[in-house]
Amino acid sequence: MPETVATGEADVGGISSPKGGVRRRPLATRGWRLKDQPAAWLLIAPVLVLFGISVVYPLIDTIRLSFFDIRGLAPAKYVGIGNYLTLFADPGFRGTLVTTLTFTLGTTAISVSLGWVLAMLCAFTPRTTLPFRVMIFTTFGISEAVSGYMWINILRPDSAGLLNTVIGVFAPGFSHAWLGDPNTALWALIFVASWSGVGLPLMLCLAAVQSIPRSVLEAAYMDGARPAAIMRHIMMPLSMPGVRVAIFINLLGALRAFDIIYVMTGGGPVRATETVGYFMYRESMTQFKLGYGAAATVVLLVAVLVISIPAIIQRTAGAR
Amino acid sequence: MIGRTPWWSVTIVAVVGCIWIIPVVGIVLTSIRPPSEVALGWWRLDEFTITFDAWARVWGQFPLAQAFWFTALLAGLATAGTMLLTPAAAYAFHFLKFPFRRLMLILIINAFVLPQQVVIIPLFQLWRDLKMIDNIGAVLIPYVGLSFAWSIFLVKNFLEDFPKELIEAARIDGCSAISTLRHVVLPNATTPIFAVGILQFLWTWNALLLPMLYLRSNVPLPVLLTKMSGTYESNWDLQSVAAIVTTIVPLLMFLVFQRYFAAGAQTRSGAKE
Repeated sequence: MPETVATGEADVGGISSPKGGVRRRPLATRGWRLKDQPAAWLLIAPVLVLFGISVVYPLIDTIRLSFFDIRGLAPAKYVGIGNYLTLFADPGFRGTLVTTLTFTLGTTAISVSLGWVLAMLCAFTPRTTLPFRVMIFTTFGISEAVSGYMWINILRPDSAGLLNTVIGVFAPGFSHAWLGDPNTALWALIFVASWSGVGLPLMLCLAAVQSIPRSVLEAAYMDGARPAAIMRHIMMPLSMPGVRVAIFINLLGALRAFDIIYVMTGGGPVRATETVGYFMYRESMTQFKLGYGAAATVVLLVAVLVISIPAIIQRTAGAR
Repeated sequence: MIGRTPWWSVTIVAVVGCIWIIPVVGIVLTSIRPPSEVALGWWRLDEFTITFDAWARVWGQFPLAQAFWFTALLAGLATAGTMLLTPAAAYAFHFLKFPFRRLMLILIINAFVLPQQVVIIPLFQLWRDLKMIDNIGAVLIPYVGLSFAWSIFLVKNFLEDFPKELIEAARIDGCSAISTLRHVVLPNATTPIFAVGILQFLWTWNALLLPMLYLRSNVPLPVLLTKMSGTYESNWDLQSVAAIVTTIVPLLMFLVFQRYFAAGAQTRSGAKE
């Protein structure tokens, strides 16, 4: 076994080649992996088995099932792309697509922009704002089921609902069933999802800003830049990597949203809050149309893969 | 930071922070005040009595204690599984050579984009055929299997900065691949392993969809909470207690280990902390 360790040693001379000469890449970064196949397979075998059962098999099987008509326990019938034709001819599903788009973009826009603005404000006084940051970030650590319950409490249409009471101060007698009205239910959900989602962009953007070297900020200050100028010309552009990550994570999270919808509205009223991720659950697990639900899942999967292309390319290139 | 602090920036953050925790204050107050007092709103102070009546009654009316221990068991087992298997695989992927290594690695670390909706139909059929519905394996297997997508990425990222000289030294001293893992890599990689464990614990404790579909008789807390709100109309005090019990453990862990979430991206350099 030691022979595999030594592969990189012979090339040390290549690094210190004279100026102008072709500087060969030190082999130490390439052929140094240990060759011990039995140990390797032993170590990854459990991972491969569990990953195979819970990711690879479901992925392939979902795609396969989407070409079948399966209702409950009846034998499956091959229908080709029939499920997809039915899906896109179904006005209910088309409405679901619009809902998904609204929910995903709305949640991402609100939580990332608000988180970013808060991060910029916190950047000036990281210490003083720490307790308030913890308050905002805390909501990210609350189970979605519980967040949903908390907000049902706030949005209650009866006199114990805080939101109606607050509005009632300005408009006496005001009462609105926020979750019972198809026009407001989706926006209520978007707000609640943003409420719990804002902490992550806040933390990511603040981390990006705080990693700016102090000397850069000091130089700007010595040159007479005021806080607004420092924010505009240094912090904003340098926080963009954090923003990009936050946007991606939020899009991904909103597309797969299930818990918050299930707890707060159950997809209703009149399916006004049903996203694709919820549609597939209802069709497959409550209507037992497994093939139809699988087709909807594939549509969701395509959407997820499309927005993940940059992340996948990056990870694949980085996988050495 | 630098220069004079604009006072309004702190004010805005403070106002948002206070608004953000109102719902939390809401359920805490609802849970410790008698229902008659909060009928017109938990924020009203005309009369203010604190009672732990709901906290005492809820255990008898709902299987909350049972669900609590069951959730702890599920989350504990899933966390142990992930913490045990992930470092071994990450080590193999990073330090050992075997066929299809890179292909398998790419497949695993990119699976993090998959929504859990992809899993539910095939596994529902599989568990039904294997008579595994209502068996804790039906949720533990996907809990652990799905976690590899991000956990292996996290630990392997950490190992990229791990000094190779240590590995080589161990090999020259006669360590086998597995004892190198045990005696050299694991003791120096506790930070990412614990980070993985905490994330996995939070995720499995809060999981709703998979246990709701695959478990019947014994359900974890989030599922019980959704069932409670469906059964009776006016038990806001009991539901609030259940909501607090559901989220208190992950919330405390989250607050204590915040730095793992906030600083996770920055602290992945350095072999030890």
